[in-house]
Order: sequence, then structure tokens, then C-alpha cells
Amino acid sequence: MKKGKNVTVFLMGVLLSGLLALQSCGGGKPKEPTDESGSSFPRTKTLYLAGSQWGDPNTFNPLAESWQAAWPVGDRFNLMYEPLLAYNSLDGKIEPVLGTLVSKDNDSIVVDLNPEAKWSDGTPVTSADVKFIFELGRRFKNAATAFTVEFITGINVAKVDVNGVSVERLSFIVDKKGRNNPLVILDHLQAVRIVPAHVFEKLLSENNNDLSAVQKLKIDDNPVVSGPYNLETYSNEKIVVKRRDDYWGAKAIYGGKLPGPQYIIHPIFKSNDHFAIALQKGNLDASQTFIPRIWLKKKDGVSTWKADAPYYVPGSIPMLLINTTKAPLNDKNFRRALAAAINYANIKELAVSGYSPDIQPGLIMQSGIEGKYFSADDAKTYGVTYNLENAKKMLADAGYRSVFKSDGSLDYMTDKAGNKLPTLSIKSPAGWSDWEAMVSIAVKGMRDAGIDVREGFVDAGLYWPALPSGDFDLIMHKPAAAVTPSLPWSRFESIMSSRNWVPVGGDNKMNENQGRYNQPGTKEYNKAVDSLLKVIPILSDDAQLTEAYRQLNKIFMQDQPALPLCHLAEQYYEFSNANWKNWPDETNPYAPPLLPWIGASTKILWQLQPAK
Amino acid sequence: MKILKNLLKSPMFVTGLVLFLATIILALIGPYVHTITMERVGPQYAPPAAQYLLGTDDLGRDYVSLLIRGLRSSLYVGFLAGIIATTVGTLLGIYGGFKGGWIDDLINMITNLFIVIPSFVILILISSSLKDGRSLTLIGLIIGMTTWTWSARAVRAQSAALKSKDHISLAKINGDGTLAVIVKHILPYLASYVFMVFILQVASGILSEAAISMIGLGPLDTVSLGTILNQAKNNGALGDGVWWAFIPSTVIITVIVFALYLINTSAEGAFNPRLRK
Amino acid sequence: MLKQYPTLRYILQRGGWYFLTFLVAVTINFFLPRLGANNPVDIIMGKSASGLSAENARIKEESYLKEFGLVKVDKGEIVRNAEGKPVKASGLEQFANYIKMCFKGDLGTSFQKYPKKVLDVIAEAVPWTIALQLPTILFGWIIGNVLGALAAYRRGVFDRVFFPVALLISSFPFFVFGMLLVYYFAVVLNWFPAMGGYAQEIIPSFSFEFLRSAAYYYVLPFFSIFLILAGGQAIGMRSMGIYELGTDYIKYAKWLGLKESKIIAYLFRNAMLPQLTGLALSLGTMISGALITEMIFSYPGLGMAILTAIQNNDYPMIQGCTLLITISVLIANFTVDILIGFLDPRVKAGLQIGKGN
Repeated sequence: MKKGKNVTVFLMGVLLSGLLALQSCGGGKPKEPTDESGSSFPRTKTLYLAGSQWGDPNTFNPLAESWQAAWPVGDRFNLMYEPLLAYNSLDGKIEPVLGTLVSKDNDSIVVDLNPEAKWSDGTPVTSADVKFIFELGRRFKNAATAFTVEFITGINVAKVDVNGVSVERLSFIVDKKGRNNPLVILDHLQAVRIVPAHVFEKLLSENNNDLSAVQKLKIDDNPVVSGPYNLETYSNEKIVVKRRDDYWGAKAIYGGKLPGPQYIIHPIFKSNDHFAIALQKGNLDASQTFIPRIWLKKKDGVSTWKADAPYYVPGSIPMLLINTTKAPLNDKNFRRALAAAINYANIKELAVSGYSPDIQPGLIMQSGIEGKYFSADDAKTYGVTYNLENAKKMLADAGYRSVFKSDGSLDYMTDKAGNKLPTLSIKSPAGWSDWEAMVSIAVKGMRDAGIDVREGFVDAGLYWPALPSGDFDLIMHKPAAAVTPSLPWSRFESIMSSRNWVPVGGDNKMNENQGRYNQPGTKEYNKAVDSLLKVIPILSDDAQLTEAYRQLNKIFMQDQPALPLCHLAEQYYEFSNANWKNWPDETNPYAPPLLPWIGASTKILWQLQPAK
Repeated sequence: MKILKNLLKSPMFVTGLVLFLATIILALIGPYVHTITMERVGPQYAPPAAQYLLGTDDLGRDYVSLLIRGLRSSLYVGFLAGIIATTVGTLLGIYGGFKGGWIDDLINMITNLFIVIPSFVILILISSSLKDGRSLTLIGLIIGMTTWTWSARAVRAQSAALKSKDHISLAKINGDGTLAVIVKHILPYLASYVFMVFILQVASGILSEAAISMIGLGPLDTVSLGTILNQAKNNGALGDGVWWAFIPSTVIITVIVFALYLINTSAEGAFNPRLRK
Repeated sequence: MLKQYPTLRYILQRGGWYFLTFLVAVTINFFLPRLGANNPVDIIMGKSASGLSAENARIKEESYLKEFGLVKVDKGEIVRNAEGKPVKASGLEQFANYIKMCFKGDLGTSFQKYPKKVLDVIAEAVPWTIALQLPTILFGWIIGNVLGALAAYRRGVFDRVFFPVALLISSFPFFVFGMLLVYYFAVVLNWFPAMGGYAQEIIPSFSFEFLRSAAYYYVLPFFSIFLILAGGQAIGMRSMGIYELGTDYIKYAKWLGLKESKIIAYLFRNAMLPQLTGLALSLGTMISGALITEMIFSYPGLGMAILTAIQNNDYPMIQGCTLLITISVLIANFTVDILIGFLDPRVKAGLQIGKGN
């Protein structure tokens, strides 16, 4: 009797809350879906993917900073606004999108614009659009794409005849007096998305040529795009894009075919463990999140690129940057001892669920595209591997001495002169559990070797500012996180370049080499590092290139300005065949292991088939 | 004495006391019975076995060691927060309730201010200004500093009711100062009540620490029951059926809080004869 | 003054104090985040400036400072000192600007969710926050109190079983309870969805389908809070009920042979006042969101928005949210004060277990 009452009351509660929830949507922006089925997105036509958008979608403005714009406009996603080229991180090839790469040399990079390319309002994509976005940084210093300006002096346009069709040929002229770096221009050509100049010129003139005012617009109402999908609707819980059946590339690139899924829905989760649950339940078709112990999910239909460890394709290197201006971290022998004290096998097994190969010393991965620059001999000769005894010996040889408490635990360390050294701290954002685990394992090993170091987990609000200002002893960082044509050069550049070297202190900030390695003007300054970093982007001979990378990697291993910890995937990539099948994997590697809106992986959308 | 005798006759009180003493004893003598080690002793999330009775965590550490450490931390936070919240709350509550007038209003205003400023703001703000970040002690302090409002409200109501009692009016006529009246005549009357407030604040402090840690704002310098749960959540332990990452710490939290609640309610019965059967 | 209207005088006096509290709270909530060591633009730059040249990074940083109103601006240009560095706007100037904007009904633009307006963020999240918690608090309160009153009145076996169970339930950490619910009912049994506020294939609208979906998705989050809340309420009500039972009027009523239901009704009414206070307080603090529930269920709401705002020192968001919390808590407390003043001149209160958070 009473139980029955409870149930009634409960149902009333549910009803009431439903009503309230309903009210909440009154002020929203829902657009009635145009789908024939009426109120929802049929599962057989809809692809559910997640992991690229974490917070509320705030703007869909392609001129906004990339961290501000929501999926699929921000970052380097190319579903709505397309880049000229796409990079295939599996084979290193440049694939055509809005343009086709014709040639690349030290003077210019030449791209033919696809004459078929059209905006969703019917107007063709022209060189004016390309020029608009690449030259925006010259007109407005605060433009999001302003970083391209120091690399490109200008874009020359010529009309040429290709197989009887007149096409616009764009030559991106390398700024030889500036950065002189065609490699990075190639990065930009696959990262900068082309936007419709006619739309944004109009918006600029309506806003008194004030870019900040235009950046404030959300551009979320039927935007003019060139890509295969366009924004359908969004809320704080999800973003929905709909296939454009008049997408120009269907005919021009994909032989008349349209992508499989009519809709792509990107749900926004608030907790990391929800991705795994959603994948297992078939509510999510693919994800790019860290899911621990992925092998346990196999029985629920969750797959990865490789069927066995390390499951993913390595692409980025989380590491500890070392503040090389502070004693004893300014002593390379001390830094090398640190490298010898870290149990890399434990990091691989415990911190990242085995998602890393056994790493080799140095900054070059032993496999993949950059594997050709790796030298096992060099790694053996110059590199330091985990060896506690060796670490202790290196410290003793360099004059460091550990002092222990009566209970046998480490008290402190003294330097050559017998002075007590301060306790070192490894900064890492609190709550990033895989990084926290890496730091804990590193601290453990270093203390075992007699080095007085502690975990320094701080809130992200303190971590981010500490990085450029050099306010750390050691700090967790993942430089050059995206796999682009300029790897591994960009990784070396972001750790070893003294181009913008400024000392720690005041408002001084460095956005690369935050550890202040290789200070110019001192007697220890190693000129070779900066000249190698300058010359590699303009080397085209493979033998010379390999030699240059070997030199650079040798210096890295000898000087150890940072401590690479493991080799992780650029982005994690998990998928389920429950609703959509034919995902690329190691046995069927038709596209790189990324969600189908990054680089050359967009073509996955054309290969997917409904499972039922 | 009579009250204690009565209490010891109550099965609820005895159960609560025994459970609570058991956790205290576990925290105190645990390290002498079981070798506490923060080293890796096995693989990640190894199930319970002879060499690690409650399995291992994501870093392969022995859960028994972690739980003993965590229990000590949680008790420490609970008592620290409880003492602060009870002291501050009782003093302000008695004073406000007894004095009345604008002092009462002012204290009420301060109480409201502390309810209105989110405790996260204070927590993140203070931990960002300290070199060592968020310590266990800091978390205890902040829990105490944000939960005293409840004790203040509860005690104030009691002390306001006492004010009009005859013997207090008499004391006032005799010329005793406010402080003297409070110490001599009000505090003794409220002692049992304040004791019960304290017990509830300790329980609430332990739960709050776990909740704060779950959000990812837990102590960074040590293991607590909350950080154990948070690590398990971040590592997706539940989804993989790793129950030993969750259940033991949950059981310990529940047992402490339950024991404190039992002590509180049975004490309430003893102090207030009407509640006795 | 107003001596002939003591009630009005009481209300005005209380209201005055609450208004003063409000002003102080707004000021504190404005300046508190600005005292911290972490500056919002530094956080954004640390995240987004990787690889930028020093010059570009400086330009970007200055454009953020200008956009967020953290530097002095004259005719659209940043005011600079002799070294060419931007002159920071003082806290007082920012405060004056904030108050001015508030009067225009503009709570500013979020830094972290740029270019979204703070008011929009709040308007989108608050209805979910209320929808999640209002029914939970109300029904948890009603059912808890009914059961508590019954336990107090009946005592006996019912009480001896019910009471320890209620105590045990309210001792359980609610977030673990929520996670266990997800694991068992969503993952293992697959009866209920594990996360979200409504099915992903539905667009929120005034439709039966959406309503049904929202109700279905509501079940687990509801229970994750409801049981523990009801347990706490029941314990408080039981104590109050037993206290009231000992009073003379109940004994008299029993002696008169009044119907049991009638006696319970009396009992309930009189024991309820302190419980009502607790209810008003939890309704007041409700607006700050059920952060952990939102995290466990990926449920929409304001809690997460507040946490990220504080973590990133998103001043306008913090100000907007704390303003909202301040208003709702103060209104709730003011109502309680007035209610107690009217209904219970004795201003009695009992010890309650659980503070209804």
C-alpha cells in the first residue's frame, strides 16, 4: 500500500521535472530538423562521435581563435570549412582538398585550386578566398591566422591550363628574409581553413572594419561553408551537423559519392569514463579519448587501430621540460642522471595502460614516418636508459651526494661544494590522471636514485601560466602535439630553439624552449643547435636531412634539456562496429587513425557503412 | 555519570561507539600491524590476494596501505573541520543569541556571507597562492571555515531560548558581565548540545572531504579516502568491475559517518529524556 | 518610528540587514577572485600561445586584455605607459564598470566561453539545475518527513528497523551511490541510460517525445540524490516528532481519543517548523548546482559552469554566478527569518541531522 503511494509520488516527480525541463528549452535555439522522419535523427543515418568538444559550444565563427570555436569549426577540423590540403599521418603524403599540391621547394609552395570547389551559397571558391584568410594577419595583427604572416611574403596567382581545364595556380612565396621555412608553410596549408571572403568582407565592412567585433559573431545560422557537412543545430549537450547533398567534392574528389552518414552528432560529456560506457552501449560509434585497459572493452565491441599493444599509433611525446637555468638542473650530468632514474617500463604499463612502445632515448620516434631519421646506434652511444645504479654513479661522479635520514629515507642532496640543494618539484596539472601517474613514477625513481624531488600537482590555472614564464623546476608538457608535415623538426624546435630566448623573470615569456636551454651569448652556447634548426626546413636531400636530424638528436641526448616519458598516439582512436562498420585499422589502413574530421581521415566518412 | 550509564544501556550508542573506536584503532595501530608501503607491489588493479589483501590500485600499490593512510587523513580532516566549525559556530552562535540586537544581526550577516561565497572560490584561491598547493590541512581548514555557519545557526537558536530562563536573568541582575554569564551559565547548559553539533560536524567534514576530492580539488600532498575514490573514478575502475577500488573506501567512510550518527542520536536521547522510550 | 506597526518594522529591519549583506557579498565576490595569483589572460595564453612568436603573442595578449576590459582603453586604443606597456585597469575601475553594467542588465561576456554572454550561460543551465533538484528536494523532504513522523509516532518494530536503515542510508557518500547506480542499472542491467539529460537523437522542444525522454533520463540522477536526502530528513523529523509527542497537548489529544490520523497531522504541523527552515535553505543553495551529480551523469546544469569559471578565473562568469547564488540564498534566508518571526515566537529549534545539502 505505502509502496504504491511512493511510486505515484515518484512518477509525479518525474512528470514535474519533465515539465520544468521543457520550460528550459523555450529560450533555446532549436531549429526543427528538416529530416523527413520528423522529430529525431534516425540511428541508421546518424554517426555518433565524441571527444573533440568538451565544454559548451560557444561560437562557430571560423575567424575566432581556434580554442574558442566549437567543433567542427575550431582546432583543425575540416567538416565545414576546408583547408587547401590534407596530411596523411600514416604515409606522410599530402592529399588534395580544396587544392592539389603541385610542387614544393625552397622558394615557394605551389597549389592548384580545384576549379569545381564551391561554397554552399553556390559561388565558387577562388584565390580571393585563399588570399583573404592568409592575408588577414597583415590587415589585423590580432587575427587568429596572423602566425602565417612571418612565413609567407605573398601569394602569387596565375591562370594555368590543366588537362584542358583552366585552374587558378597559387604560389605561396617563402619569406626568405623572415623565418625561411617552407616546412611550416606546408603545416599551415593543411591547418588554415579557407573561409568565404565575400561573406566576411561584408561582415567586416558592416562592423567598421573592426575584426574584434566580427569575431564576436557566432556565425551559427546557416553558415556559408565549402565542406561536406554543415551545422544543423546545437545545444550544450550536443552539436549536430548535416550532410550537404550538394557538396562539390562528391563529384570532384569522391567519384560522385556522398558520405555515408546523413548526420553526425557530437555529444558533449562531462566526465572521461562516459566515453567508454557510451561506446560499449553502442551510443557512440567512435571516440578519441583515453580509455584505460582498452583490452577489457573488446568483448563489448570496442576496437582500436592495433588489436594488441600498444593499440595506437605513436605520434606525440609527453615529457618533462627542465628549467636549465636553475642549479643543479643547469648541469647536464645531473639532467642525464634524471633520465637514467625514470622507470619507463612502469610509465608505459601503469600510467598509459601500455599504449606506448618501449621508447628509445632521444626525440625521434623509432617507427612511423620519422623512423627513417632514427639511429639505433646513436641512441645506444649517446642516450641514457633506465638504470638506477648508473644514475647513482653519474650523480656521484658529478660530485652530488645524497644524505639519508636515520630511518633510511632520503633527506636532501648536496652539490659538489657540499651545499644543501633545495627540494625540486615537478609541476603538473592536478587531475590529469595519466600525467599525474607519470610524474609519480618519475618522482619515485628519482628519489630511489637519491635525488630530492617531489610531485608538484597544481591547478590548471597555475600550470598554464607557469609554462611560458619558466616558473618551474621540471614541468610536464607535450610539445608539438599534432602530427603535421613538419615533424620531427617542430618537436626539436619547441624544445631546443633559442630564437626567442629570454631569461626567466618579469613579464618574460617563451612559447617554445620554456626550459631556457642553450642561452645565447654564454660560453656554453651551442651554435650548432640553432643552425641545425634553421637548416633542416630547407634541406631536401634525404641523406643530408637524416644526418642533420642525427646531429640534433645527438645533442639532445648529450644535453638532455627534457625527459621524454613515452610515445603516445597523436589522438586516441576507438571505434565500435555496432552501428557503422568499415572503420580503418591496421589490417585495413585506408586512412590514418583519427576521427573523420582531421587531415586525411575525412575520407572515412565515405567508407563507413551502416552495420544493419 | 547517570547519563553515561543510560547511554551504555542503549544498543545504538554501544554499536556506534564500538564502530567508531574500531576505525580509530585501525587508524592508530594499522601501521604497526600492516607494513605501510607506497611502493609498487603488483600489477595494475590486481584483485585481492594473499600478498595484497584488498588488491592493488592503478599504480600497483597495496590498497590496505592506501586505505590505512586514507583513513588517517580522513579522520584528521574530519576532526580539524569539526573543531573549527564547532568552535567558531558555537562562539558566534551563543554570543549572537545571547546578546541579540544589532550584534546578533551583524553575526547573522556574517553567517549569510559565508553561505553565499562558494567554498570552491576560497579553496582554489588560497591553494593558488600557496607554494605547496592544496594540503590536507588546508582542506580541513576550509571545510571548517565554510560549515561553521550551520553550527552558528543551530546554537544561536538554543542560546536565544536560554536567555529568558530565570537563573540567567538572575545572574544578569547580579551584575555578571556578558562573558561571565556565557561561560558560567549558558555554556554548561549547551555543552551536551555543542557536543552533538561537534559530532555531526566531524561526520560532515569527512563526507565533505570525499566530495571535494571527487571534484578533483582534493589534497595533493597525501592519500585520503576521497582521493582514493577519485583516482578510481578517473581510471574507470568501476566500468572494468574493479570493485576493490571503490567498495572498501566507501565502506570505511560509511562506517565512520554511521557510527557518528548513531552516537549523536543516542546521545540526543540521553540528554533529552523525552526521546527515551 | 513605525512603533505602531511592529510587524512592518520587523520586516523592514530584517530586509535592511539582508540588503546590506547583499551589497557586501557582491563586493567580496567581485574582489575575491582578483586577489588570486592566477590571471585569466595568462591561463588562456598558456593554452593557446604555443609556437607563437614573441611579437604575435604580445599582440594577442594585449587584444585579450583590451577585450576583457582589464586594461585602460581610450578611444578604442590601449592606454600605454612610458615603456609602451599597457596600463592595467584598477580593481576599483573594473568594479565601477561592473556595477554600471549590472544596472543595464548586462552581466558581461565570459572569458572562457567567449563570446558567450554570462546571462546566456546562466539562462541555459539554470532550468536544468532547478529541474534536477527542485523535485528531488521537495519529494525527498515530503517523503522523509512523512516517514520520520510515522516512525516517531509508531515507534516499535517499524521504528527499530526504519531508523537505523535511514541513518545508514544518509551516511553513504551520495556520489559513490550515484556511480553504483550508473554501473548497475545502466551498464550491467541496461535499464536506464547512463548519462545525459535526454536522448541524443532528440532536439529539446515542447513535444511529448522530449518530455518522455527527459523523464527517462531523470530516473537515476533523481534516485542518486533522493534516497540520501529523504533519509536525512526522516531522521530530523523523527527527533522533532518524538520531542513533540512528549508535549502536553498530544497527551491530551490521546486522552481525548482523537483519531490517529488527526494526531499525526498535529504532530507533523508542529514539528515541521525547523524542517521548513532546512527546506528553505536547501532551496536557496540549490541554484549553485549539483556539481557532482552533473559530473557523474553528464547532466546539464550550472555546477560545471561555475567550477570551470573558478578554475580559469573567468571573472565575469564567477561574478554572474555568485550574484545569482547570493540573491537566491538571501531571499531564502530572509523568508525563513520572516516565517519564524511569524509562526514561532518561541523560536525553537532542534538538532537536525543532515543539513539538506
